[in-house]
Amino acid sequence: MTPAIEIQHLVKRYDDFTAVNDVSLRVEAGEFFGFLGPNGAGKTTTINAIVGLARADSGTIRVFGHDNHEQWREARRTIGLAPQEYNFDRYLSIRDVLIFQAGYFGLRGPQVKARADMLLERFGLASKAKQEFTRLSGGMKRRLTLARALIHEPKLIILDEPTAGVDVELRLELWDLLRELNGDGLTIFLTTHYLEEAEALCKTIAIIREGRIVTQESTRDLIAHGASLQDVFLELTRS
Amino acid sequence: MTAVETFNRIGLFTLVRREMIRTMKVINQVIWPPIISTLLYVFVFGLALGNRISSVQGVSYAQFLIPGLIMLQVIDSSYGECSSSIFQGRFMNSIQEMLIAPMSAFEMASGYVLGSLVRALLIAALITIMGAILVHTWPVHWLLYVSVLALVSILFSSLGLIFGLMAEKFDHLAALTTFVITPLTFVGGVFTSAQMLPSALRNLELFNPIFYTIDAFRFSFTGVSYLPLGFSVAMIAVLALAAFSIALRMMAVGYKLRT
Repeated sequence: MTPAIEIQHLVKRYDDFTAVNDVSLRVEAGEFFGFLGPNGAGKTTTINAIVGLARADSGTIRVFGHDNHEQWREARRTIGLAPQEYNFDRYLSIRDVLIFQAGYFGLRGPQVKARADMLLERFGLASKAKQEFTRLSGGMKRRLTLARALIHEPKLIILDEPTAGVDVELRLELWDLLRELNGDGLTIFLTTHYLEEAEALCKTIAIIREGRIVTQESTRDLIAHGASLQDVFLELTRS
Repeated sequence: MTAVETFNRIGLFTLVRREMIRTMKVINQVIWPPIISTLLYVFVFGLALGNRISSVQGVSYAQFLIPGLIMLQVIDSSYGECSSSIFQGRFMNSIQEMLIAPMSAFEMASGYVLGSLVRALLIAALITIMGAILVHTWPVHWLLYVSVLALVSILFSSLGLIFGLMAEKFDHLAALTTFVITPLTFVGGVFTSAQMLPSALRNLELFNPIFYTIDAFRFSFTGVSYLPLGFSVAMIAVLALAAFSIALRMMAVGYKLRT
């Protein structure tokens, strides 16, 4: 089966600093994959390289078999990105944020509008559809980020710390949503600083430290090495 | 739903539509000010002071003024629209919505430029109507009118893209307008014909690219130009192509967009 993401020997440098150093990863289709590491370890740079926001200095990235450099249109069509920061278009209503995002992906028509309405309903944003995103609460903005990532029906979503700064109740609500999406067959690539989140959601976990992958194992095997994921994480990432 | 094939037409026109929505959301900043200031120019320079000038290029001074004022606002609007839109997108990171989508550099650059062109055409149309009502002047060469408007808008929108990509703060965007575009526009023939200038200044005008744009555009109203029309139009087309090519190249390499 074609993997959702296959990264081989990815290197990304910023001047003299090597942010990602010979990273190789394989994420299976349909998998819930956790990508963990301390701040500055190279998580976001790796994500940016996958989605095309950063150009690799060397190495290859294939998304569902499509080389993200040579077949960038096909590769990008399969990915939905939910970045950590809120980067919505401030001139658009919430509903239009979704419809315009679909437009950039080459999609339009009544089906797109219906899907936008369905996502707004599913994520509890239907009553806010005509408002601007600045009027949403933090939790609603998080849900909108997810809805936008899903509008073009990607096969893979990349979530960069999707529960950062949200309260416990919303975090648990988002976990349920993510489990549901994964249950529908969506591949999820998750970065988080909440280790219990990764432990609860992810089937496989990779840990990156100083630009290098230090482990990639099933969550179950990883926990078997120590008392908890936190112990393993600290052991592997301490300088 | 329609999927992207090799050319993301829907993506491009989504961006054009987005730019139009942005224009309408800030209409008091971008549409009415050029109309009001043009109205003031027409009253003060055209109708009040202009009565002291008998005729220029065979028309009244107020009528002579209208095409120059249209160019002034089209240049300002085209540069301002593209530079501020892309800079804001970079600043707020909202441009990432397009950068992660299957949109090529050409589709993105064209989307911004076409969005800007629509705004420029709207402003030009409003001022043209104003000119027809207030001073009874009207384009007589419509093809030339539209062609020069489009080329000038593409030229200055592309410059807007270039500087919007290069700028690190809003202040940088204003620098080109303040120190280059506005002075060159004002001395480029908005208020004067080349014949009114001393011969030394007249020769200097040939180094001012904006002079070509106003001279060619005024022909569409008066049927008279200082320079050969074909030469001026070719010059504008070459400059527009060069500026768009540079903007496109910057987009393609992801200059300050992709790391």
